[in-house]
Amino acid sequence: MLKCGDMLVSRWLRLRSLCNRVCPHTRREERKGLLWRRTLIGHQFTGTLASSRPCHSDVGDLYQNECIQRYLQQLMQEYRYICQRLELPHISEADRRALIKKHTELLPLADVFTDIEEALKDQQEVSSLLLGSVGAKDEDKQLTELLKEEEAQISCKVLTLRKNLVKALVPIDPLDSSNVLLEVMAGRTTGGDICQQFTREMFDMYRGYAWFKNWDFEVYNYTPAEYGGLHHAAVRIAGIDVYKHLKHEGGTHRVQRIPEVGLSSRMQRIHTGTMTVIVLPQPVELDLHIDPKDLRIDTFRSRGAGGQSVNTTDSAVRVVHLPTGTVAECQQSRSQLQNRDTAMRMLRARLYQSMMGEEIKHRQTVRKQQVGERSQSDRIRTYNFSQDRVTDHRTGHVARDIKEFMRGGGALDNLISDVLENEEKQALLELVENRGNGRDLTNPD
Amino acid sequence: LHFHFSWFCFVCQRRGQFHSLHTCSPPALPVGRITALQALEFWKKHFEESGVTEPDLSSHYIVAHSLGGKTVQQRKLTEFLSREKTEQIWKLCTKRLSRMPVQYVIQEWDFRDLTLTMRPPVFIPRPETEELVELVLTDLKNKPSSGDTVQTCLEVGCGSGAVSLSLLSSCPQLQVVALDRSQEAVELTKENASRLKLQDRIQIHHLDFMTEADEACSRCSPVSVLVSNPPYLFSDDVKTLEPEILRFEDPFALDGGSDGLTVIKQILTVAPKILSDRGGIYLEVDPRHPPLIQQWVEANVAELRYVETRPDINSRPRFCVLQKKQRELDVK
Repeated sequence: MLKCGDMLVSRWLRLRSLCNRVCPHTRREERKGLLWRRTLIGHQFTGTLASSRPCHSDVGDLYQNECIQRYLQQLMQEYRYICQRLELPHISEADRRALIKKHTELLPLADVFTDIEEALKDQQEVSSLLLGSVGAKDEDKQLTELLKEEEAQISCKVLTLRKNLVKALVPIDPLDSSNVLLEVMAGRTTGGDICQQFTREMFDMYRGYAWFKNWDFEVYNYTPAEYGGLHHAAVRIAGIDVYKHLKHEGGTHRVQRIPEVGLSSRMQRIHTGTMTVIVLPQPVELDLHIDPKDLRIDTFRSRGAGGQSVNTTDSAVRVVHLPTGTVAECQQSRSQLQNRDTAMRMLRARLYQSMMGEEIKHRQTVRKQQVGERSQSDRIRTYNFSQDRVTDHRTGHVARDIKEFMRGGGALDNLISDVLENEEKQALLELVENRGNGRDLTNPD
Repeated sequence: LHFHFSWFCFVCQRRGQFHSLHTCSPPALPVGRITALQALEFWKKHFEESGVTEPDLSSHYIVAHSLGGKTVQQRKLTEFLSREKTEQIWKLCTKRLSRMPVQYVIQEWDFRDLTLTMRPPVFIPRPETEELVELVLTDLKNKPSSGDTVQTCLEVGCGSGAVSLSLLSSCPQLQVVALDRSQEAVELTKENASRLKLQDRIQIHHLDFMTEADEACSRCSPVSVLVSNPPYLFSDDVKTLEPEILRFEDPFALDGGSDGLTVIKQILTVAPKILSDRGGIYLEVDPRHPPLIQQWVEANVAELRYVETRPDINSRPRFCVLQKKQRELDVK
């Protein structure tokens, strides 16, 4: 419950700052607009109004959603209830404090909500004026034009307001700004070489995407396969909002193509292969304390006297976190110390992941019920080389020109944004359903 | 791998099937073109059969080096090798067949974040020594130099220069004096220093600390840090070392006498004359040494205080930290 409350507070805080940005602007402008229209009625006017931009948005559409509406109405009801309670003379100090806290939380949302309702009223007014001017004389034609523009402008504003309102309702993932540990792994279907080949291409794609997004891309492990393929690679990607963009890349990616190299290339027919992407958010260094006593470090030199009596080129390091049994290995560098540092970073990421695991697992089960049987392990995307097409199975997003797509530039970015928006919508719906079914909103925790 | 038979194994086959039991003459160059991957697999197998240690890694590092990389991974393994590359790989791998350490074969290795040139018979730095550097660096950073005095460091037995150059590259203010009794080591340290553009802050002297200690004192005192990875193996153990070490590395860099303490005792005896007050000594030693060293110092060198023993990555007591006591006058 406490966590829930915290999440809500942070959401409201975000909402409030958003409203500060949105409300004064829209309110003032619209009021001015109305005033201006009223005074100008009957006068000649030759200026042009700001042209209305298309403000359509998928996220904004959610406003029409029944659950969201219900959720909003509930919140507004709660707000009105709190206002009423606050006016009552006999409430205890503790109650009052709780109510005021809730009130401050809800106020910004209530403001935007009122703004939307006012804008709708204005829109109605303009519409009725328009209706009245149908069949008017020639000199009024210009006024009619103005009214039409005005109406378009208001409805555009309403859409923007709605979109912002809905966006502000979307729960924030606290990990969004984290860096990530990204792993690519070849699948083990028949004709493994097609999977390994594809895994290397995927690796190159993410490297391209990191470049496109101006992120750091540091290779921790790279285990090549025959024919220029790739078994497994682990990289650390660091930059702005890396986890936010890459978290939905985790899962199984499928390839369909006629193999170019390797054993399966002898038969000229379409093969299907898979590879898996794992994306772990990487904690900020301070979040996690690891006691050195809890670690067991294995190296080639673990046995025997070591030191000057042994010369080896085996610099691999394996770190085991004894309490959890979590393991990380690195053999990327010729320096044992550098391998140790890398392995420690990987271990940190994995421990953090398992720490977050409980929370994430809970969210995933809830989401599974909502969205159907889908999790990270399911196929999320198909790369069909024969048809030169990439299809994302979650959104149905289709990208042509697979070569361009796998360069990891704008085409991939578009698809990722699309998935992200879709996931945000789902997350909001999930939240709304939980709230709607679970709790009586008029009762504070 | 089937292709072996066609172009190599006939050499051994003629001598019989048990070619793993004797050392083959170096295998002939392949007749046709081969890929890097084929070369890699071939030599791995051949090393294995010839009893060369770490066959897989040896083959990997040599092929990678011939292709111009540190690891073979970024290279395209499926591409065919040119005749020159193939010849180079065969030449280098044949060296490895004689048990020459990979680091000497490819003439370079990594130490911490530096890549250093390696050349026989100069001692190849071991991973434990990376931790010795870590230890010194941590202390240098925790105890910043008082006032304007520049921190100076003396290394006894610099070998390839790994310790001194790592310290220099991590501490932009530090000055280092490095000594070695071997002319080859002095040359190699100089070479590595100028390749890493660190030659301005290092003085390298060809001196034997055992016999020319006074000379060493006059060249560098006083210093705030003395660091050394001295020869610390017990003479009896030296005989049982792998041929990589025994045949190729300078025994003076390894053999510390019957108890492995000969050079260590000399360093600790001379140290008070070289160190500034509260200056630190950092030594890499054999795991059996720390208690012996502590005992010996307490009985023989009044000016030094034994601070602590530190373990290496595998939890062996590996490093000794000592400190020169502050002079009585200053304390009062």
